Amino acid sequence: MVHVLGVQLPDYQYARFALTAFYGIGHKTAHRLCARLQIHDKCKVRSLTPHQITELAAFLSSPSTSTPIPRFPLATSSYKPPPASTPLAVLKEETKKLSQRAWADPLRNIKIESEARRVVKDNVAHQRMIGSYVGKRHAMGLPVRGQNTQNNARTAKKLNRVDRRG
Amino acid sequence: MLSVRCQRVSYQLLASSSTSPLVQTRSYATQPKKGQIVKQASQGFKGKKTAPSGQMEPAKKDKKMMAFQPLPVSQLPHPLFESDRPDTLTLQTFHPEMLTRVVESQALKFPHNDDDPFRIFGLPRNILVEFRLLSKPCSVIRSVTIDAINKLDAASEKNSKESRVVFTGPQGCGKSFLLLQALQYCNARDWLVLYIPRATNLVNSTTAHTYDMRTRTYLQPIFAYQTLQRFLKVNTPRLEQLRTQTEIEIERRPPVPPGTPLVELINIGLKDQGHAPTVLDAVLEEIGKQTIFPVLLAVDDFQALYCKSHYRDQHFSAIKPYHLSMPRLLLEYASGQKSFARGAVFGALSMSNTTFPLPVELREALSLKYDRPYGPYVKRQPELVEYAHGLESLAVPSSLSVSEAASVFEVWMKDRAVPSKPNDELFLAKYSEASGNARAFVWKGLLSSMS
Repeated sequence: MVHVLGVQLPDYQYARFALTAFYGIGHKTAHRLCARLQIHDKCKVRSLTPHQITELAAFLSSPSTSTPIPRFPLATSSYKPPPASTPLAVLKEETKKLSQRAWADPLRNIKIESEARRVVKDNVAHQRMIGSYVGKRHAMGLPVRGQNTQNNARTAKKLNRVDRRG
Repeated sequence: MLSVRCQRVSYQLLASSSTSPLVQTRSYATQPKKGQIVKQASQGFKGKKTAPSGQMEPAKKDKKMMAFQPLPVSQLPHPLFESDRPDTLTLQTFHPEMLTRVVESQALKFPHNDDDPFRIFGLPRNILVEFRLLSKPCSVIRSVTIDAINKLDAASEKNSKESRVVFTGPQGCGKSFLLLQALQYCNARDWLVLYIPRATNLVNSTTAHTYDMRTRTYLQPIFAYQTLQRFLKVNTPRLEQLRTQTEIEIERRPPVPPGTPLVELINIGLKDQGHAPTVLDAVLEEIGKQTIFPVLLAVDDFQALYCKSHYRDQHFSAIKPYHLSMPRLLLEYASGQKSFARGAVFGALSMSNTTFPLPVELREALSLKYDRPYGPYVKRQPELVEYAHGLESLAVPSSLSVSEAASVFEVWMKDRAVPSKPNDELFLAKYSEASGNARAFVWKGLLSSMS
């Protein structure tokens, strides 16, 4: 079992699926996250390296302040790599020179867990504050989107409130 | 409905000899052999007994393919399982010297080697299931087999740049089987063999990938490690005779001096997975320089190397296959950018894989018929066109000839795949229903027969 930011990720699951356990991360975001961390599709949580787990935790703790990753140079068909003894500093320098600026990264705008719940809460509170129909329905604990209430309003009666947990 | 066979067939082995005056042999068979001992197996193909670590177990949980595991005879003591028909499947062993036009349409069983390339490298999924059903792995020698073997004999003296062959044909016509026959032939003829049974596994995002600044590609260290391990296991006796010719530099360790045994070089890659891709590159380069042993690089699902991979980079763009280390290595040898001094590169297309269909660049390079209208406005990637340049197509006939089909029928009948008695009507009915297609004849014809 791997614990990341208070969420348990079972070892036997594929990492790409396990990340959907976070509130605010669905399958598309999870796929993008795995791509960012260079986790292949069929990687199980138990095969994640400590470095990858640390990176994941660091990224998810504040996605908006993460360092943007540049677009690394890729070999052309005629590229001959330098010998293996080339010092790492030289390679880093060359990679940095050839790297291009990244375009906008949708992952930096994601909100998870408490932040995502707060967004939902704020939206409902705003509707109530401005006195809209949506706000009134949330306050009464009834369906908001025009559903029938003669029968079948169970979920709304159970979950809808102004301080909705999200 | 597939008939499940749960009884192991025991058989008497014919002493296979290439010196019989009645058997026509290949030209080099007149030379005296160096005391080779051919181990004869007493049981059929059982799948991997001692799988090297990290080797995938195909078809284990694959419910669609219904992987059959024959029960051992000891678990079937009830007289109901006793057969009234005596064991009749006796096949000669596949010996390279006897592969001439005379043995066309004959079924030969694959030899049981100590380090059998099938067991160690693995097999394509369809063939694995088929070998589990048969009592022993065997195949029918076709005219195209002899053509391929003649090409291999010619290629053994030439640079691999001049012998880059891809088996083409409709689905189920026998391309993978032909590749297996070529592989066994080369292994028996003392070639260095490297076989990738499922090239789709290189590009379908099932193995780790990591960006490398030096090569500017995404390395696949685990797959490189597994490939090195398997290559070493199958070719150990030959690799022990080879040494490096130049100094080889490897990251984070002192360079390997010239004159080092290749086995030692490979062990460096096996000790640390991070070194595996560099070591694999270096090993292939070294065996490409030597002229003692010819080299066969055989790749099944060859078209997967030219398709879009399922990998994504850190910005979620698809990673091209030539930016992944393993496919790039295979593409370089397939395109002739790197080559072996003696040897060949053989590939087999898989036309029944819908996730990795045959791309237009490869189709045009092999001069195959189009399956849909491709005009000049369809984008062709120039890199893939370059990597596909110079590939030669060897067309596998779409249908088995009647005599070949008869041998296939005999093998399955003698192995008691169909409960009814074999007769000509059944054979001709199934042959015409399948219109000679090998896979349809065996799977949809014989094994699905309700008669």
